Amino acid sequence: MSGAQNVIQKSMEEIRASEEMKQNTLRYLEAQRTRQSRRFFQRRQYAALRYAVAVVCVFFLAGVGGYSVYSRPVSYISIDVNPSIELEINRFDKVVSAKGYNADGQDILQHVPLKNISYLQAIDRLLQDAYYSRYLNRDSQLVLTVVSDRSDAMLEQIQANDRFQAYGAVTYSSDTACMNEAHQHEMSFGKYRAYLELSQYDDSITVEDCHGMTMGEIQNRIRSCQGHNRGNAEGKNGPKGHQNGHSQSHGHH
Amino acid sequence: MNRAVNAYADMVRRICFVHLKNRHDTEDVFQNIFLKYLLYEGSFESGEHEKAWFVRVTVNACTDWLRALSRRRWVSLDALAEESAVLDNPSREILEAVLKLPEKYRDVIYLFYYEEYSAVEIAKILGRKENTIYTWLSRAKDILREKLGGEWS
Repeated sequence: MSGAQNVIQKSMEEIRASEEMKQNTLRYLEAQRTRQSRRFFQRRQYAALRYAVAVVCVFFLAGVGGYSVYSRPVSYISIDVNPSIELEINRFDKVVSAKGYNADGQDILQHVPLKNISYLQAIDRLLQDAYYSRYLNRDSQLVLTVVSDRSDAMLEQIQANDRFQAYGAVTYSSDTACMNEAHQHEMSFGKYRAYLELSQYDDSITVEDCHGMTMGEIQNRIRSCQGHNRGNAEGKNGPKGHQNGHSQSHGHH
Repeated sequence: MNRAVNAYADMVRRICFVHLKNRHDTEDVFQNIFLKYLLYEGSFESGEHEKAWFVRVTVNACTDWLRALSRRRWVSLDALAEESAVLDNPSREILEAVLKLPEKYRDVIYLFYYEEYSAVEIAKILGRKENTIYTWLSRAKDILREKLGGEWS
């Protein structure tokens, strides 16, 4: 075996890459490196870049798409005592925006984080909050108004909350037209609905007047007007909700 | 790159020699192998790993080259014409015998006797079964023994 190995090794030893062959190869490689290989690498780099951009775009679009679906509100809840707070609810029942429509409302939101939790949790958190409950006393009126395609189902769930019932809260549903009008007046649509109801009985009342009134005060005015109307117009039913149909009472006093 | 050329040029040249017919083909394949090395994006765990890569790539490149040109699978004496000037007679005789072997035997003979790879290592490098390598080695040795007689012993 070793003899055969020696024979082969000795023969093969004489086969070598000549210096010329090595130098030619190095020159060839240098040329390839500076021309063809550069283009090759550039193509690879651009290909990688294109893939990277495509992947980023897909993630971006998925992210933007997902975020826009997540952040798009489909329901709205106005919670009014004196603090007026509006919640925007996405299709996953999560609060995506909380806005205070008066100073008290803005102040509450500084203390109670309501975003990115379910609207039921948000309402419960609000009612549990010591800072918020200062506004809930014998003279106050907690009013919760919903704008949604499924307002009945939402209100049913909200009314199941024990604290909500304990505070003698009333609920209404409204619509987007009423909500848009309210926002033009920088007012929560819950309070605006109450204003519209009051304006049925009292022509002299203005939105500006209502800005300065608590929900309890507005409700009292409505009650007193209703009593007055009943006295003056015997046999006539008092109006229920807004005459434009913007609101529909689910409340009970 | 200089390091790789200096380290593997002779081995690549020899593998090309056992496969390819003339210097021109050898030079083309030779350069392509080092170009492949230049463009190779993988990493080598060790010098042995790198050497095995060169063996495998060279064998494949030679095979592909021959297949592409539909050349004969064995090399005649013409192949030695250019080399003969530098070879003494005994070496020439041995190499002729090696070059007359079927192509697949030439690699194992070269790798086994010259590069001193074991049959197991050769099987791994060439991607063949060990038994295949043992068979090829055995047959190649029989042929060489028959042709070279005393010199082979």
